[in-house]
Amino acid sequence: MARDEHSFMRENIPAYALGALDAEDIRALEVHLQTCEACRAELSSYRQLSDSLLTAIPPKQPSAALRKRLQGRLPSAQKTTRPRVTWSLSQLAMGTAIALLLLLNLFSLMQMREIQRQQAGLLQQLHTNQFALSMLAYPSTQSFPIAAENLSGSVLLDRERNTVALVMWHLPELSEAQVYQIWLIEPDGQRVSAGLFRSQAGSSYTTEPVYSKRDISSFTGIGVTVEPAQGSQQPTGPGVFRVDF
Amino acid sequence: MTHLTDPELVARVAQGDEHAFLMLYDRHAGRVHALTLRILDDPMLAEEATQDTFLKLWSRARLYLSERGSLLLWLLTIARRTALDRLRMESRRPALSDSKDPEDLWQIIPDLNTMSEEARWRSLHFAVQSLQPDHRQVIELAYYQGLSQSEIAEVLGWPLGTVKTRVRAAMEHLRSKWNAE
Repeated sequence: MARDEHSFMRENIPAYALGALDAEDIRALEVHLQTCEACRAELSSYRQLSDSLLTAIPPKQPSAALRKRLQGRLPSAQKTTRPRVTWSLSQLAMGTAIALLLLLNLFSLMQMREIQRQQAGLLQQLHTNQFALSMLAYPSTQSFPIAAENLSGSVLLDRERNTVALVMWHLPELSEAQVYQIWLIEPDGQRVSAGLFRSQAGSSYTTEPVYSKRDISSFTGIGVTVEPAQGSQQPTGPGVFRVDF
Repeated sequence: MTHLTDPELVARVAQGDEHAFLMLYDRHAGRVHALTLRILDDPMLAEEATQDTFLKLWSRARLYLSERGSLLLWLLTIARRTALDRLRMESRRPALSDSKDPEDLWQIIPDLNTMSEEARWRSLHFAVQSLQPDHRQVIELAYYQGLSQSEIAEVLGWPLGTVKTRVRAAMEHLRSKWNAE
């Protein structure tokens, strides 16, 4: 190695240790350092000096606020800043009581609605019964007996007011999947649906009004069949009874 | 816990011991902050750099190796790099007005009655003070402002050769004074 080159590199070591050497000189010096032990020792000496320059400044305390800010960045502070839900025994008891009250209210509300539904059903039934009773009071109302197995009753027909009422005793209760369907019978035997109904629960008789858009006199009879819950276009199930006018 | 050494406390910090971390902060915050303030010359920016330095201690404590040097030196090296990065980010040129004369920066004489273990470093403080003004200026710009020799030549309007000569002379002077202690 040329002595001049070594001297040149060695002159750059103080600036290198200080971090002031320019980029192109750094590369050349670092290559030289790989093969020159004397220069590595020189660099080590200057590095200790530059490290010591870091501490050659008298201490100056930062503000007390900095310590608090720093503490606020630590995990424990992060945890405490999150809202923690802690329940005391009294709060737990209060919470349970409120939950029970809410449940009670909900139960009461459901019961009240059920009672209202039952009341509406009873009222409807009352109107139906009154309707059938009032039909009987009309002199023009005709009564046709229902003659069927295990079933009796009457079909009330008022041609002037175009109304019909069915009064049936001991009508069997059907499953949820079935329903009674009323059919008005045309002269050619065709059936026209006149409504769906169920037997009146808890009562020995069932009253059902029948309303027809067409003149009831155009029909020659009425019948009831058992059909699927949604009803049918034409009778498909077993007949319950048929009455000819 | 006050009797624990720095390496022992760092080992605890590496395990997530916040109390040990705050003890190290109390021990070294003054030195770290003095350095960041010297570099940034702005109390608010200096506190941010000091905070970043200690947060790096918190997150990188397991990387510290005591056999490679003191914790204080490790912290100050991080602090210098953090502050110089901030200085570059702010695109600030070193202030060369009369009020920021590098000569003034070295006029604060440390308390000789404290930190006797750092007497050798303190002697370096006096060695810097004893430098010629133009030599002190290049040390200041290079080490505490992160400027290369070319940048110093540009800032001061000196020939690059003059800057190189003064950097070398200043460092040789400091080393001879420091080794003489």
